[in-house]
Amino acid sequence: MSAAPEVPAHYHDGRSARRFEVTLQVEDGVAHVTGEGVQRSAPLASLRISEPMGAAPRLITFADGAFCEVRDHAALARLLAATGHRDRAHVRWQFAPRAVALAVIGVALLALGIWRFALPLAAQWVAPSIPEAVGQELSAQVLEVLDAHLLGPSALPEPRTRDLAARFAAMPASEGAQIPHRVLFRDGRRLGANAFALPDGSIVVTDQLLALAADDDQVMAVLGHELGHVQERHGLRLVLQGSMVALFMTWYVGDVSTLLAAAPTVLIQARYSRDMEREADAWAARWLRANGLSPLLLSGMLERLEAAHRRAASEGGETGYLDSHPASGDRIRALREIP
Amino acid sequence: MSAAASSDLEQAPADSVAAGEPLPLSFTGRGAEYFGIWIVNLLLTVLTLGIYSAWAKVRRLQYFYRNTSLAGSAFDYHGSPVAILKGRLLALALLVLYNVSTQFAPLFGAVVFLALAAVFPWLLVRSLRFRAWNTSWRGLRFGFDGTDAGGYRVFLLWPLLTAISFYLLGPFWHQRMAAYQRNHARLGATRFSFHGEVGPFYGIYIAAGLIFLGVLVVSGMVAVPVLRGLAGDGEGAFRATLGQMTVLPLAVLGLAMLFVWSFVSARLQNLMWNHTRLGEHRFESRVRPLRLFAIIGTNFLAIVLTLGLFQPFAAVRVARYRLESVRVIAAGSLEEFTAGAQQAVAATGEEAAEMFDVDLTL
Repeated sequence: MSAAPEVPAHYHDGRSARRFEVTLQVEDGVAHVTGEGVQRSAPLASLRISEPMGAAPRLITFADGAFCEVRDHAALARLLAATGHRDRAHVRWQFAPRAVALAVIGVALLALGIWRFALPLAAQWVAPSIPEAVGQELSAQVLEVLDAHLLGPSALPEPRTRDLAARFAAMPASEGAQIPHRVLFRDGRRLGANAFALPDGSIVVTDQLLALAADDDQVMAVLGHELGHVQERHGLRLVLQGSMVALFMTWYVGDVSTLLAAAPTVLIQARYSRDMEREADAWAARWLRANGLSPLLLSGMLERLEAAHRRAASEGGETGYLDSHPASGDRIRALREIP
Repeated sequence: MSAAASSDLEQAPADSVAAGEPLPLSFTGRGAEYFGIWIVNLLLTVLTLGIYSAWAKVRRLQYFYRNTSLAGSAFDYHGSPVAILKGRLLALALLVLYNVSTQFAPLFGAVVFLALAAVFPWLLVRSLRFRAWNTSWRGLRFGFDGTDAGGYRVFLLWPLLTAISFYLLGPFWHQRMAAYQRNHARLGATRFSFHGEVGPFYGIYIAAGLIFLGVLVVSGMVAVPVLRGLAGDGEGAFRATLGQMTVLPLAVLGLAMLFVWSFVSARLQNLMWNHTRLGEHRFESRVRPLRLFAIIGTNFLAIVLTLGLFQPFAAVRVARYRLESVRVIAAGSLEEFTAGAQQAVAATGEEAAEMFDVDLTL
């Protein structure tokens, strides 16, 4: 064995701020610290060797808390190499460019996978165990905001709305644990022809949608679609997924600002809806068939909504970024293919 | 011994300095290095659904502390990841409890709010103790021995007074908080003390308010004619103008807020350190608001453009500027600090300390 490498270091005894100039050596697995007024030896295995962190000194700590501060990284690396010391894997990764690049890709793929697959599954799994009171409170708040800012009272005569509601209520939903539902009629104002479901089973339909529908069967198809959202607990699942994404974004860019964190969260949420729309379509198709109606009623209604939408867009009117029924073309095709 | 090593050691400031000679804090962290730590931390944190974040925090703080040196010796962080994890779980539970209860049962929410307000100062005091005790320089631990009563005064009573006075007493609260934190802190057996009066705190907040108003008025005088000119093109230009009308004021507001924030945090750092003593040693902090604004502003842009990947570089830039703006005006040798009696006690009772100490700082 060649002469053991010597490493210059500062020794601190943990009792005062006094700094001792020492040299560190390792012979036969025993570390020796030698310098003016310091003479200590201990088995290398009993010392804690801090991980490398760039230019930062590495600390070699004795069991009693006294330690050597080493700034000569090259000399220490030679000494540690001679003793066979090896840093833990993830410590070596973080300073290896290739591993760092892989970690960047890994984070991106992982985040994408969790957001696209794991999170929706988790939300679907958790949603049924959320107490009903939560959904009711949430729905009441949302409806209050909508009524105050976006919707007006329905202009339809009361007997007409009562008949529609009664017909819908008389159509039994055949499957699954049932959430009781009710239909609310409103003037859509800027929202136009629209229908949406709240987690507590409230289904809101706008006068404009009733005017757009060819007949009451088509209205029933839309209500069935919204009932699908209710029974599949899409509202709660959206809230659960959204708050998890928000939590992650706040943590990820927490140092920057909460404003930055909120923006992507909103954009990301629009993406969830498409899978849910398909789920609700499928639910509505089964429900329509069980009640002796054709699933094509729903695709017919979707076509009408899309045409109205295009008309509004070409007239330079409000198209709305937060379209609650995206990718209608795909959905119409899917509904037609239902056997 | 290699030649490189010996010259390295000679460059390190000698610590048997003459009294009154300023000793700068030096920071050796580099963005590219910290990026590696940050991304591996991020990967492991996501893989473990957040559990690793406690270990990640320890490695992050160790990177920053060990790269910070005073008189040629580095600082170090000793926090236990398990204690931090406990603190985070507790904080998360409290956050969820608070949010859920206020959302869905306002009356119960009010009860929860009061309970949290009663517990929070107690937790913060423990958190301060944890943070101080787990920081060291030359093997001497820092310490914090503020009382719970003091904690309730600065974390409950003063915030209440501030709210009741419509924030007019805010600077008082800030000064009391600074005094509480620093007068009860020590390095080994040597105590820190704080000598800042309320006046300068008022000065900073009033100046910040005036700057904010000034920026808004000036930018309004510039922006309104510009917007009016754009809107004058008639209906065809309506959509483009609508975009500018919302984006431009938001950008101006954002810049103004960023500047005011830089101003306040630069001036506060200077105020705090210039009135802090450690035994007979003094500190001097010279953060320039405009320089800090330039760093933070460019950081913000770069973070947005890189979808967050610039964050570790940004953190290193800010840390370097803030730390290297501070100097210690030593009244004598820095070798004379000794460990307090408590260091020996706590070193043996460390496990008990970890049982009851939590770290709430996320």
